[in-house]
Amino acid sequence: MTGRTTLLAVGELLAWWAGLALLWLVLVSSVDTLERIVGASAAAVGALAARAGRRAVTWR
Amino acid sequence: MNGWLLAATVELGGAGAAALWGTATGPLPRRVMAQNLATSAVCPALLLLAQGYGRPSYVDLALLMALLGPVGTLVFARLLADELLDDRPRAWTLTWAAAGLSAAVVVAVCVATGPSRAMVKLLLIGALLIGGNVIASRALAGGFRGVRGA
Repeated sequence: MTGRTTLLAVGELLAWWAGLALLWLVLVSSVDTLERIVGASAAAVGALAARAGRRAVTWR
Repeated sequence: MNGWLLAATVELGGAGAAALWGTATGPLPRRVMAQNLATSAVCPALLLLAQGYGRPSYVDLALLMALLGPVGTLVFARLLADELLDDRPRAWTLTWAAAGLSAAVVVAVCVATGPSRAMVKLLLIGALLIGGNVIASRALAGGFRGVRGA
């Protein structure tokens, strides 16, 4: 893995994470510290899954 | 009984009953298209009920339905691909009428909610509902090679 592909992977994960965290904050009923922590963690896991899913269908 | 609940009742009694009737009777293409449109009939009614009862958290039901309804239709489109090969279900007038109904309900509920996080959620539900409805109808009509089968 070269430096460029690492940078691209990190960028993609960050983009997924930002989108998913934003979605979480829009959908929860009240925004407080706990929701922010849980949302950021869930978005991180979701970002890994989203990138894996995207890579799994891109070869077609 | 307020206006929102009345609107939801009319919607469920009209479009919901029509979708139920279409799903329960008639040839296969009509039934599969009716079950597809049932999402667009019931989901706006759930939004209206949430507004009518003054319980914004009930909107989550509509969100789940808007998300899972079209996915279910895609499963049917794939599983029934062979049966639907000769006689594609097409109902573009009804599909766009349902999309218009969904849009009208979402706009009305958004106006009542006012600009806030809740409104963004409602707009997201509307986009999922209308986009999913159109994509699922297109899949049933044979518009996607991966879903169409042979």
